[in-house]
Amino acid sequence: MADLTMFRTRDSSITKRLTRMNILVSGAALLISCAAFVAYDLVSFREAMVHNLSIQAQIAGSNSVSALLFDDPRTAEGTLSALKAAPNIVSAGIYTPEGRAFAMYQRDGAGQSLALPPIGSGQIEAHWFKDGQLVLVRRIVFQGKPSGTVFIRSDLQEMSHRLSRYASIAALVLFGSLIAALLVASVFQRAVAEPIVHLAELAGIVSRDKDYSVRATSTGNGDEPDILIHAFNEMLGRIQQHEGALQEVHRELEQRVEARTAQLAAANKALELQNREVERATRLKSRFLASMSHELRTPLNAIVGFSDLLAEGVPGELNPKQKRFVNHIKQGSAHLLQLINDILDLSKIEAGQLELHCEYFHVKDALPEVLSTIRPLAMAKNIEVEHMLEIDRPAYADRVRFKQILYNLLSNAVKFTPPNGRISIACAEDDDFVSIAVTDTGIGIRAEDQTVVFEEFRQVEGGKDSTQEGTGLGLAITKRLVEQQGGKITLVSELGKGSRFSFTLPAGAKTKTSATDAVSATAPQRAAVAAGRKPLVLVVDDEGPARELLASYLDPEYRTAVAESGAEAVRRAQQLQPDAITLDVLMPGSTGFETLAALRKNPETANIPIIVVSIVDQKQVGFALGAADYLIKPIRKSVLLDTIRKHVPYQYDDDTAILLVDDDPKTLELLEETLRSAGYETQSVQSGKRALEVLSSKLVSAVMLDLLMPGMDGFEVIRHIRQHATLKQLPIFVMTGKSLTPEESNLLARDTQALLLKNGSWQQQLLVEVERVIQGHKLAKSAGQS
Amino acid sequence: MTRKHIRGPRFFHRRLGLVITWTIIAAPWLHAQQSSPTENEVKSAYLYNFGKFVEWPANAAIVGEFFPICALGDDAFGSTLETTISGESINGKKVLVRRVAKPQDAVSCRILFISSSEQNQLKEILAALDNTSVLTVSDMPQFTRRGGMIQFVVEANKVRFEVNLTSAERAGLTLSSQLLKVAINVKRSAQSGG
Repeated sequence: MADLTMFRTRDSSITKRLTRMNILVSGAALLISCAAFVAYDLVSFREAMVHNLSIQAQIAGSNSVSALLFDDPRTAEGTLSALKAAPNIVSAGIYTPEGRAFAMYQRDGAGQSLALPPIGSGQIEAHWFKDGQLVLVRRIVFQGKPSGTVFIRSDLQEMSHRLSRYASIAALVLFGSLIAALLVASVFQRAVAEPIVHLAELAGIVSRDKDYSVRATSTGNGDEPDILIHAFNEMLGRIQQHEGALQEVHRELEQRVEARTAQLAAANKALELQNREVERATRLKSRFLASMSHELRTPLNAIVGFSDLLAEGVPGELNPKQKRFVNHIKQGSAHLLQLINDILDLSKIEAGQLELHCEYFHVKDALPEVLSTIRPLAMAKNIEVEHMLEIDRPAYADRVRFKQILYNLLSNAVKFTPPNGRISIACAEDDDFVSIAVTDTGIGIRAEDQTVVFEEFRQVEGGKDSTQEGTGLGLAITKRLVEQQGGKITLVSELGKGSRFSFTLPAGAKTKTSATDAVSATAPQRAAVAAGRKPLVLVVDDEGPARELLASYLDPEYRTAVAESGAEAVRRAQQLQPDAITLDVLMPGSTGFETLAALRKNPETANIPIIVVSIVDQKQVGFALGAADYLIKPIRKSVLLDTIRKHVPYQYDDDTAILLVDDDPKTLELLEETLRSAGYETQSVQSGKRALEVLSSKLVSAVMLDLLMPGMDGFEVIRHIRQHATLKQLPIFVMTGKSLTPEESNLLARDTQALLLKNGSWQQQLLVEVERVIQGHKLAKSAGQS
Repeated sequence: MTRKHIRGPRFFHRRLGLVITWTIIAAPWLHAQQSSPTENEVKSAYLYNFGKFVEWPANAAIVGEFFPICALGDDAFGSTLETTISGESINGKKVLVRRVAKPQDAVSCRILFISSSEQNQLKEILAALDNTSVLTVSDMPQFTRRGGMIQFVVEANKVRFEVNLTSAERAGLTLSSQLLKVAINVKRSAQSGG
């Protein structure tokens, strides 16, 4: 549209321009010629005027000669008065040769004599235009003698009349000729502009509609516009041809694209199918890996754990032979477990399933966790472990994987360092990297083996001590872990002198705050679990044995007080403010219902939950009177406890047990043994559901939770526990052989206190963690009580 | 009304002009005299001026390169005539002043001034000049009436002249209309021949 309007304005503008040009040219020509004519006429008119006046002067002069000679001014005046016939003559005069006025004439009749205008002595005649008048002076010469002078003064009215007449005529002529020029121009314009306008319109149509089939009509006279039109038409023809060809190509191309698209779609579909297949395979593999890790580790845990217990002589002292056998079992199963862990790790790395959760942390903060597991091993061989880690910059890496790397290197070092050796850990900044070096005084590695050690299942036949155990995967995994985090691992070693493994990890900014500071700051908070006395339950029954039974049911968890009658119950409730009351109905004196009503009525006891425990089945009455619950005798202990727990918010206690949750009885037994031997009480359940039941009825100090369980899994258990108001602060230890996803890791990091992986010497860590949490808990409690 | 009002001064001016003119006209011919020209001087100048307005016939007796102006009778001019007009020329001919004693001597003159002293012999004088082309001029009374051609008349202290055109034509002279225009009287009398 914009183009079109542009074309239109152009169309009209060429005509306009031509018209304007015509008018300008013809107008200018006319104006110039008119002006020239007028000027010429004025000049010649002036000349004629002067000439006429000169003639008149001559006539008057010669006619006055005799009058002059014979001193007859009257005759001369008569002669001059003949000038009346010329209305333009204002005045005239004749003067004697001496310049005296002789005869005068004035048009308006006044006979005043006028002074003779001066005239050059040699001149016969002179004239000048002055004050809108023409003055002419002429000497009268008679027979070669100057006989006098005549002067005539004429006005220029005629000239101005003539000028105005001329101006109006010129204007008329100008106007008329312009119109004529316009008319003529419009005819010629049509000849010139019309083909161009036509062309422009056509070009507009072509550019707007992309219609190349239109043709401009030729003017047929072979001039430039015609040539233009021909050229335009030819151009259009060619464009049309090209357009056709182009469209052909376009169509072909489209077809080809369509075909290709169809092919692509088919290929895509195939790919998608393949992809789905691959995805399925990957899922299967992942599932396989997950179940492998679980299924293999669970029995191995049992083997390792029990052989440990056997070796430590927990069930009873073994004879030396048995001890040796048990040690074989222990070592073999530990090796197997390590192998399985390594294979799983490696396959995860190879499958690209290893997910890194990078964060900023200080190496020195992460080190103690590794050292706590390495030190016992080192101490067993009397190897000294020293470290120099004072650098400001944090590393940016996966903290767990960092610990794994460091552990692998350190355990390798311990393994290959003879007793009484030394291992040192050093840390340095290296541009944008943090470099950690583990140096040992071990057997060293031959130069030709140094590249091989990082390959899978390549163990160096070092030294004479061929009993060194290892999966041959540790360094391979370590190398990959380092490289996946953007670092490098290098080895410098000399046979017999020791090895130095150093690896780098990306460094963060120097001012990063230590992550462990925050963790340690939260520890006392976490330990500040609600503390206090055991809840008090008032047992109201008239029968002594019944009171005893109920009290014994409640005993470990609750303090109990007794009342033998309704009145006593009211009094004691008011006095003791118990957390709950069990109330018998059939009692001498006031019945239980009466007592119930009385307790409810009294504002001091109105809020104490009252559980009716009776042979009488009158629940409606009981609930109507405000009973919190109604149990019918005989009751079981668990029912009683569960019911009371429903109404009494329980609190932690020093002596409560650690709840162990695992579907594998062997693991449970192992845990029980481990913890009990360390002096902890435990309670074991084999399902998440059961664990929640226990938690709702019993106080525990911590929960040790397996993640993979049939039915309700560990995550669900955690969710339930954390949703429960009173259990929010309960410490949870997670122990698993499962490979964790990032989400799962995050969840566990948020909701649990420790994560123990069943892939090695977890027992030691377990005890460390449990002690840390429970001791913190106890400290906080004692602080709260004092 | 205004015209009447201004007529007075204009009239006066004209009078004044006449007096002035009188002096001025004669001036070129009266070199020595600074005072107003005498009557004789004016008449001398007129004699000369007449020559300019008269055409003599081709067959006229006067030939040569002179233009003789003659005076007959008692010399009224004295030397005035000579001093006034000698050295001048008319139509390229040198003016010559001659005194003649008898009319016959005046045949070769162009202009003849006849003094008043010849009043009684006028008829004879004119008769003697009959069939000649001499312009006769006199200041005697009745001159033109008696067959003379130009007669000086003093009118209001001003020298004017009368013309007898018939006499002049009979002598074959052509008087310019210009001359006639300034004459105070032009006669065409039949009896002039007698």
